Amino acid sequence: MNYQNPQVAEVAQLLKNRLAELPNKSDIFKSIELKALYDELKVLPADQRAGFGAEVNALRQELQGLLASGSQAAEALPPIDVTAPFDVNVAPADRPVLLPTEQGSKHPLMTELETVLDIFYRMGFTAVESPEIDDDYHMFGALNFPEGHPARDDYDTFMTTQTDKNGKQFIAPAHTSTMQNRVLKQYKPNLAAGEPIAVVIPGRVFRNEDLDARHEHTFYQLEGVYVGKGIHAGNLIATLKTFLEEYYGKALEVKTQPFYFPFTEPSFEFALSCPFCDKAGCNVCSYSGWIELLGCGMIHPNVLSEAGIDPNEYTGFAWGGGIDRLVMMKNNIEDIRHFESARLEFLRQFS
Amino acid sequence: MKVSLTAIKWQGYNDLFDLGVDALVEKIGAQLGAVEEVIDLGKKYDGVIVAKVVSCVDHPDADRLHICLVDDGGVAKDVERNQDGFVQVVCGAPNVREGMLVAWLPPGATVPATADKDPFVLEARALRGQTSNGMLASASELALSDNHDGLLEIDQAQSVWTPEGDKNPAPGMPFKLLYGLDDTIIDIENKMFTHRPDCFGLLGVGREIAGIQHKAFKSPDWYLEDPTFPSGDGLPLTVKNELPELVSRFVAASLKNITVGPSPIWLQSFLTRLSVKSINNIVDVTNYIMLLTGQPLHAYDYDKVKALSDGEATITVRHALENEEITLLNGKTIQPRKEAIMIATNKKLIGVGGVMGGADTEVDNNTKNIILECATFDMYSIRRTSMAHGLFTDAVTRNNKGQSPLQNDRITAQAISMIIEHAGGEIASDVIDEAQLKPQKPVTVTAEFINERLGLQLTADAMRDLLENVEFTVVINGSELTIQAPFWRTDIEIAEDVVEEVGRLYGFDHLPLELPKRSITPTRKDPLLELKSQLRDRLSRAGANEVLTYSFVHSKLLERAGQPADQAFALSNALSPDLQNYRLSLMPSLLDKVHPNVKAGYDHFVLFELGKGHNTNRLDEDGLPIEFEILEAVVAASGKAAPKGAAFYEARSYLEYLLQPYGIDLEFRPVKEPSLLPAMQVFDQQRLALVYAKGSDKLIGAVGEFTPSVRKNFKLSHYSAGFNISLVGLQKSMSASSSYVPLPRFPKVEQDICLKVSTDLPFQELADFVVAELHKARDPETRAVITPIDSYQREDDPGHKQITFRISIAHFEKTMTDTEVNGLLDVVAQAAKTTYSAERI
Repeated sequence: MNYQNPQVAEVAQLLKNRLAELPNKSDIFKSIELKALYDELKVLPADQRAGFGAEVNALRQELQGLLASGSQAAEALPPIDVTAPFDVNVAPADRPVLLPTEQGSKHPLMTELETVLDIFYRMGFTAVESPEIDDDYHMFGALNFPEGHPARDDYDTFMTTQTDKNGKQFIAPAHTSTMQNRVLKQYKPNLAAGEPIAVVIPGRVFRNEDLDARHEHTFYQLEGVYVGKGIHAGNLIATLKTFLEEYYGKALEVKTQPFYFPFTEPSFEFALSCPFCDKAGCNVCSYSGWIELLGCGMIHPNVLSEAGIDPNEYTGFAWGGGIDRLVMMKNNIEDIRHFESARLEFLRQFS
Repeated sequence: MKVSLTAIKWQGYNDLFDLGVDALVEKIGAQLGAVEEVIDLGKKYDGVIVAKVVSCVDHPDADRLHICLVDDGGVAKDVERNQDGFVQVVCGAPNVREGMLVAWLPPGATVPATADKDPFVLEARALRGQTSNGMLASASELALSDNHDGLLEIDQAQSVWTPEGDKNPAPGMPFKLLYGLDDTIIDIENKMFTHRPDCFGLLGVGREIAGIQHKAFKSPDWYLEDPTFPSGDGLPLTVKNELPELVSRFVAASLKNITVGPSPIWLQSFLTRLSVKSINNIVDVTNYIMLLTGQPLHAYDYDKVKALSDGEATITVRHALENEEITLLNGKTIQPRKEAIMIATNKKLIGVGGVMGGADTEVDNNTKNIILECATFDMYSIRRTSMAHGLFTDAVTRNNKGQSPLQNDRITAQAISMIIEHAGGEIASDVIDEAQLKPQKPVTVTAEFINERLGLQLTADAMRDLLENVEFTVVINGSELTIQAPFWRTDIEIAEDVVEEVGRLYGFDHLPLELPKRSITPTRKDPLLELKSQLRDRLSRAGANEVLTYSFVHSKLLERAGQPADQAFALSNALSPDLQNYRLSLMPSLLDKVHPNVKAGYDHFVLFELGKGHNTNRLDEDGLPIEFEILEAVVAASGKAAPKGAAFYEARSYLEYLLQPYGIDLEFRPVKEPSLLPAMQVFDQQRLALVYAKGSDKLIGAVGEFTPSVRKNFKLSHYSAGFNISLVGLQKSMSASSSYVPLPRFPKVEQDICLKVSTDLPFQELADFVVAELHKARDPETRAVITPIDSYQREDDPGHKQITFRISIAHFEKTMTDTEVNGLLDVVAQAAKTTYSAERI
């Protein structure tokens, strides 16, 4: 309904928006804005009154119409025989068939995760997923975050109002490292048997970050843990380099930059030469020739000790990196928010 | 962290930069921390020339303008000169006079203050009829400070550091040689230095730059040596530290008879280059020392503190009281959080310790006496206070890294001596030093321990050299190194910290790249991840689209889906109400995505998601929330695209197709009693089947259509249905055994049997009956396949339905005849008649 009078049009828009929010829909007729229109009608010069009045009445009717259609519940449907494989009186030719294969799609993040997992399986790693909700101990205590560490504040990490058995809030993990203590404990018998602990941990993680084209509060990470005898920082860099060369199918240069994480010592930020331009400079690497991809380091002795592993006898490394970024770079995806949008327009491009 | 390379050179470390900026930046990145930006500051001053005003006369046609002749030593090119080689410049500055040394911007030069935004390039032009060749510049035009009261006067007696040795400023000298302006600023990411408070000072970064180049660094004497303080009197001061656990050291002293004024230009320039605003000589000195060492200082006006004290000037370190307020230097008034470390007199708050000073005791132009504070605050407390009040200062950046309390005394001594040098005055109280210091413990480690973790073969001597370069003390005993970190280092506590230090100084980029050795034991794939991968593959091959939706949802979304929001975990710090609750199941999120896709023009689609549900009532034995691994899917079609019949059957056919590989004989059971499970609340109980392995009580999932209110709330068409599968339920029901039956060599016979039964007889019951009867009747040496073909209800007979099955049968030993098969069907039909009063059609 288009109203000629701008005042009526404005009130109409306002009331229609309000209608959606009102718990008691008929309260819409008590709105002061509607009453104001009627009040105005009384004081208008006679020659304008008729036109204005017709519009106000039309608005009232439109609202009544909206109210009637809204209150009508969707029709209830009769019971059906759910044990049957098809409906009665529907000829075989008219029965639904599965949709065409070319319409189907796996989520690009999951496809990539499978690709990455496949490489690590071949490299001798096993895998386990990380949880979407965890306790303070696994997220912080077991990872050498001292009490009072800022990461434990809710500025960075989502926490629940519910609490664990120690009275601490449950946590929406901000990184897949929340599984480190569990996999170290689970696979500790490997060490005595002369085998390393080699596990990758994919998972959905959360950060208290405002949404924009480059920032998501929900994203996917892959963590890796490797512990054995005589494992050194050179092994860490070589392992990640080997993975990335397999993943991108070409020889790459890698470099590390010193960094700080409480759960590794030393810690690094890991970068690779841009596989898309071979360091010539392109928009994926912001014309720097390098892509900073993940954080890594030698597992802190306190983290090993906490899992019952003697840090003087065994050493190891760990890393964590985002999956979303790999997919965005590979496909030139301009907006990270597409991933969780469930838009078929987006998803079917990955059929 | 912005680092001025020139400032480090000026501290006497010129030899650290032989490498050139590019190579150095690369080295810093590899061994110190990521470099975000490199700014060539000197470029801004290209073309600006030191010149002498040789004559200065009033402009004949303008009151405030002067006509000057300047001597630039003949350096500027393409400029009009008089017979003496001097250049005419018109100048309006009040302080211009003959004989002064100034910065001249000749035609073609860019005004430095405009260089970053909207560059203003000078030219020769007439001002009221007199040619001005460029301009003479003020400190503000030179981007040195805010001062634009007049020309910057260059002190001819102040020699400047140049690569060729110290020189006095003279006409023709490039202006950028003065005040350290020929500078390169390197911005290193702050988070690299989370555990390195010392690297928030130029000395710290300079030391590292030396160390990573394997050069020895020696800190200035005033920093290394224990200070001695002159005793002073006249301005008594009392300090009470009520929070020794949060403020491990508090050093303070008062100074009298100082003169507040502008800082020397070199200092203003130093601060400006590092993005710190020049305030006055007192504040500037405190900031200078902070930028050099990382240790923030604060100066209070002594007389203002005294006026706010009860009697003698008193400083108390305490928490804030309820409803207590303070107005800060930035003009804002806050009620500090009660855990904040506050500085107060015995009557009133005068500062947020380590964060920002108060306005009431600010050092201003009339200040004569000051109190200088150099304190160490608990870094976590500083961070929380800063976050709570949105106060992000240079002091916070440094204090929240936890500065070493072992440096406060020497820093105080240096600050006092610099204040006296630049503002005069003298010390007027004892230097108060309230300290609870923990001695640094040496770390003992073997060279093997370090080498094993780095994959290197360095000698103990080589390690000692690397560490001594950055002023560690190292004693070698055999292959054992006993290491004493210098007092400014707070991060060396265990042997692994030394591993990091040695590796970094040696160069992590030189580590041997060797893969770990592994055996050929096969890797176990994770069963759950494998299952997810299979389900995902299979559904996508059937034209379904996998989606991912947020784990957090609005409580209203749960309510719209009929789910109990009070069973959902709730976030205490959600970004918005839309992300307030953990999901109970995935279906509400999926349903929420149906209508937008219909609107976008998709009229028939299947969305599915693999994810997790949580419920506050369901915790495991460790008290952790159980994660329900689920797959949920929704089938939706609208308008002409909707197939005939109920959507239930399409959803069901997807589910059957999906689970086919797992060898489960599925049973679709109608719901007898309404389910309380949150995941089931979306479904219309009359059009819902629970899915089990036949005869089992292990629930695998459910398939159904949605309640009228769910359809309405999510704007779903009547052709909408969905299913959910518990992946754990599925894993428990999977069968590894094969149901393969060998293929007979003899031809098969196909015949249909149509039975008219009561409408109320469930399809499955009849189908099971037919199968059982046929198997009873048939020769065991046959292979029989029974397929439901049709279900038909006459309009005029709603009490009955006619169900047709196709029987395909073959014998392993012989060719079967139609008569034999007919006979079998007769037996089945007879049994159906007896049991269900079925009529064969």
